[in-house]
Amino acid sequence: MKIRLLPDKTVNQIAAGEVVERPASVVKELLENSIDAGAREINISVIDAGREYICVTDDGCGIPYDEMELALQRHATSKLPENNLDNIRLLGFRGEALPSIASVSKLNLISRTSISDQAWKLSIIGGNKEGFSPAAHNIGTTIEVKDLFFATPARLKFLKTLRTEQRHIVDVVKRIAMASPITTIKLMADGRQILNLPSIKENNDQSILSRIDKIFGSDFGSNCLQIDVKRENVTLTGFAGLPTLNKTNSSYQHLFVNGRSVRDKLLFSCVRVAYRDFLANDRFPLVALFLDVPPDIVDVNVHPAKAEVRFSDTGVIRGLIISALKHALSNAGHRASTSSSLAALGATNPYVLPNLPLHGRQTNSHSANYHEIQMSINNSLNSDRLELYQPSAKNDENTAKDTGYDSASLGDFPLGAARTQIHETYIVAQTEDGIIIVDQHAAHERLVYEEIKSDIEKKTVNRQCLLLPEIVNLEEWQVEKLCEKSDELKTAGLLIEPFGKSSVIVREIPAILKDINIQLLVEEIVDDLVENEKVLSIKDRITDIYSTVACHGSVRAGRRLNHEEMNSLLRKMESTPHSGQCNHGRPTYIELKLKDIEKLFGRK
Amino acid sequence: MKLTIERGLLMKVLGHVQSVVERRNTIPVLSNVKFDAQSESLSLNSTDMDIDIVETVPAAVETSGSTTAPAHTLFDIVRQLPEGSQVELDNTEDSQNLVLNSGRSKFTLSCLPTEDFPVLSGDELPHNFELPAKALRTLIDRTKFAISTEETRYYLNGIYIHVSDVDGTTKLRAVATDGHRLAKVEVDCPQGAESMPGVIVPRKAVTELRKLAEEFGENIRVSVSDTRIRFSFDGVVFTTKLIDGTFPDYGRVIPTGNDKVLEVNTSDFSEAVSRVSAISSDKSRAIKLGLTSGNLLLSVISTENGSAVEELGVDYSADGVEIGFNSRYLLDITQQIEGDLARFTLADSASPTLVQDTSDDTTLYVLMPMRV
Ligand SMILES: Nc1ncnc2c1ncn2[C@@H]1O[C@H](COP(=O)(O)OP(=O)(O)O)[C@@H](O)[C@H]1O
Ligand SMILES: [Mg+2]
Repeated sequence: MKIRLLPDKTVNQIAAGEVVERPASVVKELLENSIDAGAREINISVIDAGREYICVTDDGCGIPYDEMELALQRHATSKLPENNLDNIRLLGFRGEALPSIASVSKLNLISRTSISDQAWKLSIIGGNKEGFSPAAHNIGTTIEVKDLFFATPARLKFLKTLRTEQRHIVDVVKRIAMASPITTIKLMADGRQILNLPSIKENNDQSILSRIDKIFGSDFGSNCLQIDVKRENVTLTGFAGLPTLNKTNSSYQHLFVNGRSVRDKLLFSCVRVAYRDFLANDRFPLVALFLDVPPDIVDVNVHPAKAEVRFSDTGVIRGLIISALKHALSNAGHRASTSSSLAALGATNPYVLPNLPLHGRQTNSHSANYHEIQMSINNSLNSDRLELYQPSAKNDENTAKDTGYDSASLGDFPLGAARTQIHETYIVAQTEDGIIIVDQHAAHERLVYEEIKSDIEKKTVNRQCLLLPEIVNLEEWQVEKLCEKSDELKTAGLLIEPFGKSSVIVREIPAILKDINIQLLVEEIVDDLVENEKVLSIKDRITDIYSTVACHGSVRAGRRLNHEEMNSLLRKMESTPHSGQCNHGRPTYIELKLKDIEKLFGRK
Repeated sequence: MKLTIERGLLMKVLGHVQSVVERRNTIPVLSNVKFDAQSESLSLNSTDMDIDIVETVPAAVETSGSTTAPAHTLFDIVRQLPEGSQVELDNTEDSQNLVLNSGRSKFTLSCLPTEDFPVLSGDELPHNFELPAKALRTLIDRTKFAISTEETRYYLNGIYIHVSDVDGTTKLRAVATDGHRLAKVEVDCPQGAESMPGVIVPRKAVTELRKLAEEFGENIRVSVSDTRIRFSFDGVVFTTKLIDGTFPDYGRVIPTGNDKVLEVNTSDFSEAVSRVSAISSDKSRAIKLGLTSGNLLLSVISTENGSAVEELGVDYSADGVEIGFNSRYLLDITQQIEGDLARFTLADSASPTLVQDTSDDTTLYVLMPMRV
């Protein structure tokens, strides 16, 4: 067969294979184009999760009618005026999206610029021009995409269920919206409004946060820490969720580089490292971070969908993100998630309290009887409890005075004065403006853990010498990488020497990791080194072991504590960093502000 | 199958065979014990696919036949029947169920067909010899503690039994190591064993065998091939697959040049080690041995609890040395030493140390230090 150049249409379909993976990719490209066009309002509408119909309308700058056909040609872009890939400030730059989409669908482009009093409409079917005629449209652009992938039916087969495809669309819109707070973005699906994100009125942190909060949901706004650091010409801003607010996957972790949403391993690994002390391995915090760097130190042209970027000095960026997150987290100290507790109360409250009389009146006699019985059981239980707890309530007052926790001094103690212990599991304390409920086991476990951990950091790890040293085969560069770090590894408990060019010999291992799979450990360390330049795995494992030790060595739920014990636990929590949650990422205490309690009672 | 057997005898046999049966099984029939009644005897057979145990005892068989029934349940039932009672096992009415009658109790246990019960391959076991029961117990006891539990180096998950030439006489030797310490013991080589291959007997088989060993008679018949080893005695036939791997050349790690010799009273030493390490809550339980002429200083430092020291008068005249060990490992070894005096032969704080019973030159332990 003869070698020949492929026709444009085929080239575009091939490009579409990379750029347009699924309906959500179309939405992403169109939305980014609208944002690049300076739109203040963008309306997106999809039918059948975009397979049937996608339409994006904006009020941006529009495309001059004599450039419309060009816009649909490959490598035609208005965004690289100096043809300089080192200076990319807009989301688009390849001029690839429109022709790719047009090659696999039926596309209408309607646009009008501010200097024209007439809109024009260009129709393309499967990459072929079908019509070009005047049309009605405000200043701005509308792009309609119908029958996506009709021209490449193979791709259709790979699409997931409508629900999944729709979720991808919503995700994409949310992600882009997060980075464009000054644009109103609305999403309709099958005629129903799914998202309505009004633009922020003032450009300040509070407004930006409220927009992010709206996108994240989950109480993010009141459970996050602000990040704002600058190092040379790199700035990192954004918000990091408290560890107590966490998810089972990383889909709530967003990194924006110069306004572009990237799904980069870099971010996930930074977040994992920074939150490691606060979260179990299978929990993921919520973060939205905005990184601003000079365009010439980042390469955004490494991924077909531009979902990944490459930095000229990854180490600097990594260091900045990790230290910013860690710093914010350690300043947060013992702060736990407050509003989740309110939400929990809100969920149980109407059910338990106000419904009772109503329920009794409205239901039939059988269940009313049942209800009465239930009530009387509750009452008798309650009265038992009251009797039991009466004396200790009196004690409270005495102790409060004896130990100097009068209301005047409460302000000095963020966790307040212990008032009582309930169910031999929770400590109830009064603060200046609310109450605190502490899970005694979780709290003590954390204290023990932090203590042990600071001990380990002080000394070097004991190493067990191996009678049968283990030889681990690796790649040559991996051996070099490991051997560079041999001193650091030694303090972490691992004595490694090169053994030939492509293997290392492990002579000593941390004594605490007695039955460890050495081969695996070394491989993980290599991975860590490649990813982070740090020796994490061993420290992780050692910390894991101590974490279980801590769990066993701490005060159990069910142990009665006296006031001195309770108060000393509270004071220790205040002075211990990261005591707001246990080693598994659950909160160690929750706080109810007086004003929240008032809300519950409908007083405010 | 229909037969009667005395409760005590049935319990003893079930006790032996049910122990091999795993608690959780994906193949249902492996939870069962197979009964096989012939003329005047009853055979019980259980397996976990690696180990196979058959025990045959006399029984009053009315109808010969076979079946399989849940091993653990049966053992539980028989254990609780009154002493001295007679037990009748019967599946002649309904082959799906085994009926157990004893006094006024009647149990109906659902059975699985005998055909489902695995028959492990019966290749030839070419090497046969008689081993005194005491010798087998020694081989196991002195080495079992050092077997590795870490599964990637699977060839360390058992005891390596092999023939070795010691100063011109042939010995049967057992060695186990977990990569941190090593235990080695030898007994006289029985006739017929000289040409047997070196074999690695897996940990579970070792444990099961040791339980049975309590009841061993005088001599045990041992049969070995490259893949299996069998121990037979008093109606019991215990067969296990061997670990298919190469045991490391352990001879290389046994030091020969150590020159610092310490002799210490075994029980004084182990008590002292145990006492000072009580202060550490650390899992790695590091203990430091400081040796100066005639004196041993044991010390432990615990970050949480403080520190502990104890001095022991010892026989030591070499240069002073300080060396750390995992105290657990030290105790494991001293527990094996029955003689009054334990001998430690050291080089330095990073090299293997030899430990021996001064009254027994058939055993040897090698222990790697810990860097503290
Ligand atoms: N919504 C829009 N408003 C104004 N101009 C647009 C719009 N969409 C596309 N364009 C123009 O069409 C060109 C091609 O778009 P596209 O194929 O997505 O490539 P790129 O965004 O990489 O430049 C853009 O450079 C831009 O000039
Ligand atoms: Mg574009």
